[in-house]
Amino acid sequence: MNAWLFGAAALSLGLVPCGAVILRGRLLEALIGLQLAGVLQTVILLLLAEGYHEGSLFDLALVLALLSLAAGLVFARMLERWV
Amino acid sequence: MGLTAAADLLIAFGVAVELACCAGIIVMRGAYDKLHYLGPAAIVGPLSIAAAIVVRESVSPAGIKALLTAGLLAVASPVLTHATARALYIRQRDHREPGEP
Repeated sequence: MNAWLFGAAALSLGLVPCGAVILRGRLLEALIGLQLAGVLQTVILLLLAEGYHEGSLFDLALVLALLSLAAGLVFARMLERWV
Repeated sequence: MGLTAAADLLIAFGVAVELACCAGIIVMRGAYDKLHYLGPAAIVGPLSIAAAIVVRESVSPAGIKALLTAGLLAVASPVLTHATARALYIRQRDHREPGEP
């Protein structure tokens, strides 16, 4: 287990507080938890890609970062007035 | 050896920043306070990890993609934070959450 995979494993633990905020917080607090979870997953994918020397995971991280932005904006816009 | 140590240091720093932000988001009470922890998590942490990848891989497709991803997160984070804070403000102004005084 190299430093990259160790870092990915450590960051996976960081998803637990995000999940707790999503489950227990109010609506917009849950959105903040979701956004942080998206960032964490992107960084985890970067670390796994380098740790396993798997080039395709870099593409996945890039796409996830892009989609997290779009999803966050759509959620924020919806929660602004409609829900 | 030196480059490996530098990469390890950058990984440790990036992971520490991310975990500190995770702790902050659960410790802070209000949504506005929690919002402050999105910034470092989306800018400092990913840039540090991307820098570690570049240190190890130099300017290769993997390094460029890592930098692109970190750059995208760094650009997207202020936009998302602003949109979320705006939604929070409008919700609080227009209607109270259940259980709120």
